[in-house]
Amino acid sequence: MRSSRATDGALLSSLPWTLTALAVAALPHLPYLPIWITAASAGGALWRLVIEQRRRPVPSAWARGSLALGGFFAVYAAYGTISGVGPGTALLAIMASLKLLEARQRRDQFVLLFIAVFLNMAALLREQYLWSLPYLLLSLIVTMAAWLRLTVPAGQPSRQTVGTAVRLISYALPFAAAMWVFFPRIATPLWSVPIDTSSGLTGLGQTMSPGDITSLSQSDRVAFRVRFDARPPPPKDRYWRALVLHRFNGRTWSGSSPVPDRRFRERTAFLGDPVDYEITLEPTRTQQLMSLDIAERWDLEQTHVSRTSTLWRERPVDQRSVYRVRSYPRYRLDAELSDFGKSRYLELPDGQNPRTRELARSMRSAARSDRDYVKRVLTMFNVDSFHYTLQPPALGARPVDAFLFATRRGFCEHYASAFAVMMRAAGIPARIVLGYQGGEINPLSDYLIVRQADAHAWTEVWLKGSGWQRVDPTAAVAPERIESGRRGAALDGTGAAWGLSTPSRLAYRLSMTWDAINARWNEFVLAYGPENQQRFMRWLGLRNPDWQRLTLVLAIAVAALVAVVHLLLLLRFRPPPPDRARQLYERFVRRTGVRPRPAETPLDFERRLSTAVDADAAARITRAYLEARYGDGGEQALTELGQAVRAFKRGAPT
Amino acid sequence: MRPVPPPLSWLPGVREAAAKRVRRWAHQRQGRDNPVTTLKPGRVYILPSGVGVVFGVMAFAMLLGAMNYNNNLVFLLTFVLVGLGLVSMHSCQRNLVGLTITFAGAEPVFAGDTAHFCIALNNGAKNHRCQIRLTGGDKPSRAVDLPPGGSEILRLAVATESRGRVHLPHFAVRTQYPFELFRAWAWLHMDLHGLVYPSPATRPPQPPGSVRAPGHRQHDARGEEDFAGLRKFQRGDSPRNVAWKAYARAGQLFSKRFSGADTSSQWFDFETLEGYALETRLSILARWIVDADRGGEEYGLRLPGSEFAPAHGAAQRLSCLEALALFAKDPSA
Repeated sequence: MRSSRATDGALLSSLPWTLTALAVAALPHLPYLPIWITAASAGGALWRLVIEQRRRPVPSAWARGSLALGGFFAVYAAYGTISGVGPGTALLAIMASLKLLEARQRRDQFVLLFIAVFLNMAALLREQYLWSLPYLLLSLIVTMAAWLRLTVPAGQPSRQTVGTAVRLISYALPFAAAMWVFFPRIATPLWSVPIDTSSGLTGLGQTMSPGDITSLSQSDRVAFRVRFDARPPPPKDRYWRALVLHRFNGRTWSGSSPVPDRRFRERTAFLGDPVDYEITLEPTRTQQLMSLDIAERWDLEQTHVSRTSTLWRERPVDQRSVYRVRSYPRYRLDAELSDFGKSRYLELPDGQNPRTRELARSMRSAARSDRDYVKRVLTMFNVDSFHYTLQPPALGARPVDAFLFATRRGFCEHYASAFAVMMRAAGIPARIVLGYQGGEINPLSDYLIVRQADAHAWTEVWLKGSGWQRVDPTAAVAPERIESGRRGAALDGTGAAWGLSTPSRLAYRLSMTWDAINARWNEFVLAYGPENQQRFMRWLGLRNPDWQRLTLVLAIAVAALVAVVHLLLLLRFRPPPPDRARQLYERFVRRTGVRPRPAETPLDFERRLSTAVDADAAARITRAYLEARYGDGGEQALTELGQAVRAFKRGAPT
Repeated sequence: MRPVPPPLSWLPGVREAAAKRVRRWAHQRQGRDNPVTTLKPGRVYILPSGVGVVFGVMAFAMLLGAMNYNNNLVFLLTFVLVGLGLVSMHSCQRNLVGLTITFAGAEPVFAGDTAHFCIALNNGAKNHRCQIRLTGGDKPSRAVDLPPGGSEILRLAVATESRGRVHLPHFAVRTQYPFELFRAWAWLHMDLHGLVYPSPATRPPQPPGSVRAPGHRQHDARGEEDFAGLRKFQRGDSPRNVAWKAYARAGQLFSKRFSGADTSSQWFDFETLEGYALETRLSILARWIVDADRGGEEYGLRLPGSEFAPAHGAAQRLSCLEALALFAKDPSA
């Protein structure tokens, strides 16, 4: 068995290429992979190179088998599962290094290159930044050059191999572009994707427990971007609703899972002018979709409106999505509410936060109406010593009491929660809305950027006759948070009081430019789905672009490109032009009017000619031709030949 | 216990049979080829290779993934791979189209030796042609790269068993370049053949006619004065004549040549070898001719129906051995 595992250094010309391809393909995964996998893979590669260089045998099948088993269980132990992008990549990396150890034939290296291609794909499933595209191209060039290396003689210069790979990929790019544009995109997934909840991507939670979190995330990561058809609404009116919470257990607010609301249009009256806009939503891995106030229509498939008038999608938003929405900032929602409906929004756990309830009862009895009561509570937040801060102290077992009577420091969640409890305690239906507030306009490209740090919580109260009304208690405490937004506050320095630092002008401009480029990239490339494709096809003038038509156009485009490549190859493989001496001599032959016989030498031809044409000229031309083409006559003979041929007159003996 | 055949053991057989049928069809379609043939596009066939099939399956899997995740960069990667497949298909076919294939002869061999058919590939195009090889005969040739205007001679080996003609009814010129995703090939039916001499008998009787025994025996007895020099060892030379001392010095095999004053002509006559079977007679004659030629002697050959006047040298050897090779054979076979 020993001999069958022996290496002979034959792979030394291609193995380094294959290893480079694997390394380039694996590089984007490194930040995500456990360090031991990186170390094991790199070690395996190095080990294999040493084996090949020293002509050692590769490890035995027994050793490789136990390594494979060990790797599999180690991945399982690290991730707790083997499905998903993370464990999948880890397994691929382990498999690659094991395959490498046993690689002794070209076929094994093909397998390694297939793994490299899959690693490239997995990297794109993880992240799709602007630079992912050039990196993908680079990685493809390296992989295909390694591929080519397997199929050419060992001694070929590296530049030639890389050059050929680049040339062939450049031929393939127009095909890729045409197929990318015209390949019909579908909305429904082919199979359901396991939802990876381990890393929530959004600044929004599904529940809210004020007082548990003592420091609010200040992530500058973009949540979504919005382009308005007309002028964007002023900052104080930019309330992006995502989720409504109505259950309260004394500590935590939670909602119910969304169900489609068939009576949405009956119970909603849209007033005033609509606002039309397009949202590019970053993946959230949740079902909520953001919309400004109350959405009236939207163009995303499988999307419904819930009983609490928020938009939600049947499957989680795990890819960047673009959708258009028409919203009405003025509306009347649920002018009538049944007693059962009211009771849902009045529930308070017994015995919790007694001081707050007491305060609510006394304030309500002093107020003239529900509306007056709302105003009084807001005034209390504004006038009494309440403070807006992003680093509030922790609250104890009775968070609302503690907040209202002791700490009096907090951010939106604290105020919204305390306000809603105050309302419910006074018999006014109230609920919490989670979403985003504000966002900043990119002055370079005129769109709105909403970041994770713009996440916000506010309340809605139900008042007889006018339905659900938005009330933002935070606005009463820190109006500038709402007026200029968190970013604006940071820029003009008012945010310093909440613990925000002021960025420099240059940094601001740079970040805005970078964001504008990214926004375009997201809208045009990454979010090119069924809706965008339809829009683009209509713009191209293709009416009614269903998938049959798209397939037809795709076929035509590919056929046209095949014809172009065919022509290119014909050009590359055409015979070289005859040399100058031959051309001149052929001109002379044409002028004689005599056809040379097959395999007749120029001298024989000349002898045959001597009767028909000027014999001296023919002899001179023949001599000059032979000298120029086969002798050492060089340029001089060529010049002489040229002169003689030019001087030669058609079939005229002199 | 009956032996269990390995899984899919029937597959190579089926493949071979299918290939044979298709090749016959191609033969009917193309007819017989000239000894100088330039490949036209219509006769270069192409199919995906094993690697190509896996590549296609991978691209399809990636397409499904891209559709499921609606991931536009995975779409792009998939389509670049598909584009590469298309481009490599066309390049692979173009790698053969326009190639000129010329039969450059086959050296005659003795029966039992391996005949080599020399086939020249000529690239008349401005572009490199890469990794082209020939299949046919007993095993495929090496792969060659042809620079613009370049040519190479490849050899296809065919083992011979009996005298007469050795045939190479068809062979294929093949390439998998670039990426080995596709294999393109063209069948050529040039009906090539080469001569196979009867294998020289190992223990022949003494040649008649001349009174002397075969040259070298006498020369050995007579001593060194008849030694006429060395020449390169050729197949069929007796090991007795090998100049072992020269071999030790130069590392190359030489045969001693002897030229006595007794270059008297001798006749090798088929009729004198009565009592031997036909093929044995021819083998013995072949041995006599080879030995006499090695000794630089003059000899003539008499066969029923033909006669070669005494002479010496390469031309005599060639025509006599050819006559033996084709004796009583159907000239068309």
